[in-house]
Amino acid sequence: MPDHKDITPPELIKDRGSLHPINHMKDSIMELLISFGFEIVDGPEIETEEFNFDMLNIKKSHPARQMHDTFYVENKSNLLRTHTSPVQIRGMLEKKPPLAFISGGKVYRKDDDATHLPMFHQVEGIYVDENVSFAQLKDLIYKIIHSLFGDDVELRFRPSYFPFTEPSAEVDILSKEGKWLEILGCGLVNPVVLENCNIDSNKYSGLAFGLGIERIAMLKHGVTDIREFYKSNIDLLSQFK
Amino acid sequence: MKIAYRHLVQHIEESPSIEHISNKLFQLGHEHEIDGDILDMEFTPNRGDCLSINGLLRDLAVFYTVDLNQEVFTEKLNELQLDFENLSKNTCPKISFLKLEIDKVPETYKNSLDNYFTDLGLNKNNFFTDVSNYLSYETGQPTHCYDAKTMNGKLLFHEIEKNVEFETLLDKKITLKGKNSVFSLNDNIINLAGVVGGKSTSCSANTKTVIVECAFFQPEAIIGKSVKYDIQSEASHKFERGVDPECHDRVLRRFIKLVSDHVNIKDMSIISYKYKDNPIHQIPVYVKKINQIIGINISEKEYLNYLSKLGFVVEEGLIKVPSFRSDIKTQNDLAEEVARVIGYDNIAISKISIPNNERTNNKAIENKLRFFLLDNGFYEVINSPFVSLAAEEAIKVDNPLDSNREYLRTNITNSLLENLLFNERRQKDSIKLFEISDVYSSSNGIDKKRKLSIIASGRVGENYTDFSKKINKKYLVMLFQEILPNEVFDFKIVSRDLLDTKIKNEIVSLEVDINRFSNDILSYKEVSQSPEGFAQYSPISDLPSSIKDISYSIKDYSKTQELQDLLLNYKSDIIKNIYIFDYFKNEKQEEIKIGFRFTFQSKKATLNSAEIELVYNEIVNKSLNISGISIPGL
Repeated sequence: MPDHKDITPPELIKDRGSLHPINHMKDSIMELLISFGFEIVDGPEIETEEFNFDMLNIKKSHPARQMHDTFYVENKSNLLRTHTSPVQIRGMLEKKPPLAFISGGKVYRKDDDATHLPMFHQVEGIYVDENVSFAQLKDLIYKIIHSLFGDDVELRFRPSYFPFTEPSAEVDILSKEGKWLEILGCGLVNPVVLENCNIDSNKYSGLAFGLGIERIAMLKHGVTDIREFYKSNIDLLSQFK
Repeated sequence: MKIAYRHLVQHIEESPSIEHISNKLFQLGHEHEIDGDILDMEFTPNRGDCLSINGLLRDLAVFYTVDLNQEVFTEKLNELQLDFENLSKNTCPKISFLKLEIDKVPETYKNSLDNYFTDLGLNKNNFFTDVSNYLSYETGQPTHCYDAKTMNGKLLFHEIEKNVEFETLLDKKITLKGKNSVFSLNDNIINLAGVVGGKSTSCSANTKTVIVECAFFQPEAIIGKSVKYDIQSEASHKFERGVDPECHDRVLRRFIKLVSDHVNIKDMSIISYKYKDNPIHQIPVYVKKINQIIGINISEKEYLNYLSKLGFVVEEGLIKVPSFRSDIKTQNDLAEEVARVIGYDNIAISKISIPNNERTNNKAIENKLRFFLLDNGFYEVINSPFVSLAAEEAIKVDNPLDSNREYLRTNITNSLLENLLFNERRQKDSIKLFEISDVYSSSNGIDKKRKLSIIASGRVGENYTDFSKKINKKYLVMLFQEILPNEVFDFKIVSRDLLDTKIKNEIVSLEVDINRFSNDILSYKEVSQSPEGFAQYSPISDLPSSIKDISYSIKDYSKTQELQDLLLNYKSDIIKNIYIFDYFKNEKQEEIKIGFRFTFQSKKATLNSAEIELVYNEIVNKSLNISGISIPGL
């Protein structure tokens, strides 16, 4: 005979939504950096050439400033920030060293293909104090990469070029398939940039780094076409609960 | 830039393998791929000096014994009589011209010139242009060859700022616009300086007398021109990144040598114009600073040894930067040189300790809202801000990607509406989306607002309590009232009249400033959490889906769980989703009615009814094997 008393209705599975995988990745990285001692600073997405380029030692002749690389708005009076670095400039102008800032958010460049979009996300960090060295930068980068990709991941530092850092480096990790994959850019803050922010470069030095969120999210989630993230397809979003 | 391994290694005493060279190039920061015996180099924009065989060898000299002394013509040269005037000396502070007359045009090439075309698989053009191209590959200095027969009159270097037609030697007609540096002959433009020469004075297969121009142009005058006029120009790539202002005599003497290796030169003369001295940049020797920047401890002797191998000269406590290294100006630049030579990966880590800053969370309200919405089945989306319609106070993009992305959106709701329709077209019948974003307008200068926008339509949820409820304004009002009873929000019903859809479900939206929310939201206890890991993405299907419902009658209640376990865990390549859409316990008839909804979709091809029926029947048969259950009407 059926037991009428003991029967309970099926478990009520309430639909839950999900964070966007890019925001989740950004938040995860920001949380990690906060745990290292960094403080979040925010800034506008519509910037001036002064903060987006000049203060960062990106000269008028730099290709990034051409109309084919940067979105300008309102008759070239402003632009859509091409990186989150201007936020750090604003932070350095407001506070005195020692300081450790991170900023994350949308940035814009004139690209549009399977691996590049006109809008994407970055997280950048800067630490300015006395005697900050490249060897310390390496320690920080190892900590970030190991937290993101595991302690066993192999990484390498390559000399690179960014006008706002000197020395500059790009960091690659070795994939399971044996390919080196570029993960982030970093370097010691160019003394010119410190001086632009009224920081005595003889007394202070700084390190800076920047990560492309989409790039890391694609690797972590196994997404091969960046455009998939921005179709707002519930079939995709529901995979990241 | 493609560089043949053998063109490099012939100058290196140790004869290293291509892999060995490749490792050293990576250490120096010269990214590349190896394709057979070819190194496909990608240089950073500050290292224009490396865009040649000799440039790379100068850097590799820090690891190998390198011979950079290619043979040059060493005898005295006559002075060229040329009617030339430079009206823009700041743009071109140094320029040289070489005139050569040969007895015949060679039919075949020898030695390095031949190897250049053979090993890199390049097409030949004409003798003098081919020598010029090779020389650029070897030395990094572009030269331009004019057929001397066409060069009668006054040659002028100057800047123009007017629209003028120009036919390049590549047979392409362009209209020069804005400011351009050009060479003119008798008022006709014959060369877009540093980018491409003109057709009217270009060399041909019959050219026996050539005027070779060898110049230094300020990078600022060249940057952006090749992109602007859509011209592939190796010369402009080099000039944009800076060439060696002190190399002209050696380069032109090397030009003569290469020509004389092939044919007899009947006549030659040269003239150089130098309007401004190139200052030698000097930086004090300060090894303590270098050690501090990198975080190492090397001796001054070791430091200077590294620099000396890279071509730096030290005199009286000052480091003289070679003329080809326009990128070196500060102690930090020198520190990078040392770090490259040591190898970034060989620099020992030094522990970093960042003083803990105060943790401020100015996104607390925003994050609470996100998790409240997640708890209620909303998905977070991110949309591009670029739109085609010029809303009032919309900010215009001066240089949009296309006319569909000419303005910045002034609201998020329109983006969400597109997202909703996109998902409806994919047969989603319960759609709840939200986005939090900065929105910009030009009301008072540039105005920034941080906004939350939500949109919802269809079923409240995919479970047996929410399945038959439809999302409407009241549902959303109640949802927000539960957590914010003291706040009133202006939910809107979006009309479907102008939408390209036959679906009738009510669409409800809300767009509100984040500042509008009070701290009351912070007391909300969320159920959802951030995912702990990063789920592997499974490619999604855009093929049509089909829905099948099965309703069971259960007399033996104890079998309910067995049925659920069987169906909710049912595995099939073509089943996308399963959930219980109906549950009813009829006390009087001692019966449980339970309904399961199956969504069928393939990732490979559109499913036909037979394929669906096959799996459907299998499900039915397996479920009916459980005693005490039935499917009414079957």
